[in-house]
Amino acid sequence: MHGTTPLLCALNLKKTYVKFANRIEVLRGIDLDVAEGEFLSVIGNSGSGKSTMLHLLGTLDKPDEGTIHLEGRRIDNLPAEQRDALRNRTFGLIFQFYHLLPELSTLENVLMPAMITHSVWSWWLNRRALKKQALEMLDRVGLSHRLNHKPRELSGGEMQRAAIARALINRPRVLLADEPTGNLDAANGQHVMKLLRDLNQHDGLTIVMVTHNLELVHDTDRVVRLFDGRVETPEMILPPTFATTP
Amino acid sequence: MYKLLLCWRYLKTRYLAIACIISVMLGVATLIVVNSVMNGFSTKLKTLLHGVLSDIVLEGHGMEGFHDPLGKIRRIRKDAYLDAQIDSLAITIDAFAMAQFHNVVTNETATRPVRVMGIEMKSRSQVGGFKEHLDLQKNSAEPSFAIPKEIQDYFEAVEEQIRKDRERERQDAHLEAAFGLLQIPKAAPDNDIDKVMREFFHAKPAVEPAPRPMPVPHKVRVPQGAVVGHLIAHMKWKDPNNKEFVDLPTIRVGDRIDLTTVSTSHRLEPKYDSFVVVDYFKSGMSEYDANAVFVPLEHLQAMRGMDNRASNILIKLKDYNEADKVVQRLAEIFEHDRLGIFTWEQKQGPLLKAIEIEKSILNILLFMIIAVAGFGILAIFSMIVSEKTRDIGILKALGASSGGVMKIFLTYGLLLGVVGAFFGTILGLTITWNINGIEALIAMLTGSRVFDGSVYYFKEIPTDVQPMGVLIVNLGAIAIAVVFSILPALRAALLHPVQALRYE
Ligand SMILES: Nc1ncnc2c1ncn2[C@@H]1O[C@H](COP(=O)(O)OP(=O)(O)OP(=O)(O)O)[C@@H](O)[C@H]1O
Ligand SMILES: [Mg+2]
Repeated sequence: MHGTTPLLCALNLKKTYVKFANRIEVLRGIDLDVAEGEFLSVIGNSGSGKSTMLHLLGTLDKPDEGTIHLEGRRIDNLPAEQRDALRNRTFGLIFQFYHLLPELSTLENVLMPAMITHSVWSWWLNRRALKKQALEMLDRVGLSHRLNHKPRELSGGEMQRAAIARALINRPRVLLADEPTGNLDAANGQHVMKLLRDLNQHDGLTIVMVTHNLELVHDTDRVVRLFDGRVETPEMILPPTFATTP
Repeated sequence: MYKLLLCWRYLKTRYLAIACIISVMLGVATLIVVNSVMNGFSTKLKTLLHGVLSDIVLEGHGMEGFHDPLGKIRRIRKDAYLDAQIDSLAITIDAFAMAQFHNVVTNETATRPVRVMGIEMKSRSQVGGFKEHLDLQKNSAEPSFAIPKEIQDYFEAVEEQIRKDRERERQDAHLEAAFGLLQIPKAAPDNDIDKVMREFFHAKPAVEPAPRPMPVPHKVRVPQGAVVGHLIAHMKWKDPNNKEFVDLPTIRVGDRIDLTTVSTSHRLEPKYDSFVVVDYFKSGMSEYDANAVFVPLEHLQAMRGMDNRASNILIKLKDYNEADKVVQRLAEIFEHDRLGIFTWEQKQGPLLKAIEIEKSILNILLFMIIAVAGFGILAIFSMIVSEKTRDIGILKALGASSGGVMKIFLTYGLLLGVVGAFFGTILGLTITWNINGIEALIAMLTGSRVFDGSVYYFKEIPTDVQPMGVLIVNLGAIAIAVVFSILPALRAALLHPVQALRYE
């Protein structure tokens, strides 16, 4: 689409879940290119495998077949510690249910990826800089007044913004968002979307967002649809036609 | 870094973890208390045992003892190494006897078997384990068998009287002889049973010179002093007024005690003499206090026909650590003499060994208590891992490695172990140091004593905290806590991140 070499490139991804006798072929050959700086949204019916695909892209899971390349480097078959490092630094993940750690305060949650990166010693040496960075991130998502609250003391929108700040603390190349507004009301959803849009436009952050809210896709650069385990690219973003697929 | 933070937070927010800590704590405390008390018992017992036994004993076989103890001492002293190591020596005789005395409380004549020991006050006191146990003379610089002055005077007067009577008799005899009235004494019957027996059994004559009949010591009429074991001379009596036990003397100082022992001649003959009680022996070891009667060495030698013989040579060392070497050296010197040479520990070997075995078995059992605590940790950790499944998925999604996740739970186990062991040590030491107070409290509440001082050798529960033992208990408890958290930690580490994230 964008002409340049894609930042993230998936080729013929397949994933099948086998449970006893029945095989669920969730992904049957996904081909997907994500260009640098692109805001891509992925739509599809519930159960069509959107989350599964996102997990494969984010190296949380391995495909049964197919390859994933990040800037031309194959990443789907890397050893565990390199995949851990990729998740820690190159990908940022956000989820529908925020997935904050309940024992930690907002600030600590945001700092968590940085804590995972650093050993105790280097954490101690860099703690001021890292904390400042986390504060900037929280400021950016508009949560500077909620630093020491535990997740359960926050609203859904606040939790999702904290999760975004956490995903961004290690300055990732790609943000993988799995229905980030799925659990939010319209106003909060708008707020989060505006934030993502902003991050994409001002900071040039590449975003892959899974959603089933068709209204949101208008804000994104490109839409693909998962259907029958494959990626389809609708010619235009037309909500009515989406409902009546071939 | 995140591992420490999460561990700390999990510790602070999981109340279940307190159950783990408490179980480790109780296990550690129990181990420390039991070990301290057992150590206390064994050290106390050892001190008591060592208190009545000298460092090293040379002993003869049998009741007749060995020949020439002084010559043996000279041989020991001639050896430069031994001379340098040995502080002092004492010759003793150890024999059995029947004691008969008048019990002043029941007003009856009592007879009982005792262990009669011939000692020489000065050297026996130097070797140790004697003078300090004397009831009356423990503080005197030179304890002695001297009998009370009035008794001494009385007997001397009697002796004088007898001497005078004899003198008169002799004069009378002279007079009678002079008057031709002297009766011719009958010849002694030729009754050498020893010779007959020897011929009958073809026994070889003794290698060492046979004991020759000794002249009866000069002051035969004035009785010798005797030190009597405290428990022989006392009985427990319950005061009906305040229900407390008191020791009532059944033999008072100055009372008579008759001892009947045997001679060491080829044919055993009863030998008896009367002694005057001059002191009591109270070591705290009932074995001694209830059996021992000490009498002057020379007198016992004379009584039993043990001229220049003794049963034991007691040795006190300057440094007990050298004991084994000294024993070895002594064994070389007395290679051809039939002597047993032992350190006091060897003499009490079976008892000390039994205590040691008892302690190790108890320790194994008690470590099982901590193992139970370990299974508690296992169960509780498994619960926490299940509960934290989603969080583990989140951590992995954020880039935490499986090893890192595992370390969280291992560190958690370690932390529980350390905290539990720490508080357990504090609790254990507190109980140990106040055990007698606690015992008194329990006795007060229940009305019956847990530890009855009169039954044991000790007045109160002895304790001995060994830092090394406490350390081992701590390390063991911590190790068990860590070992039992391995399984849940492994489960956490092996969780698939996606499954964990989907987990509700
Ligand atoms: N561990 C598993 N074992 C078997 N089937 C699974 C497993 N995980 C997911 N699936 C199946 O894979 C399919 C795709 O799941 P996925 O969560 O990717 O769907 P989705 O598009 O994200 O749906 P939604 O929009 O509801 O989130 C579903 O039919 C689901 O039942
Ligand atoms: Mg999904």
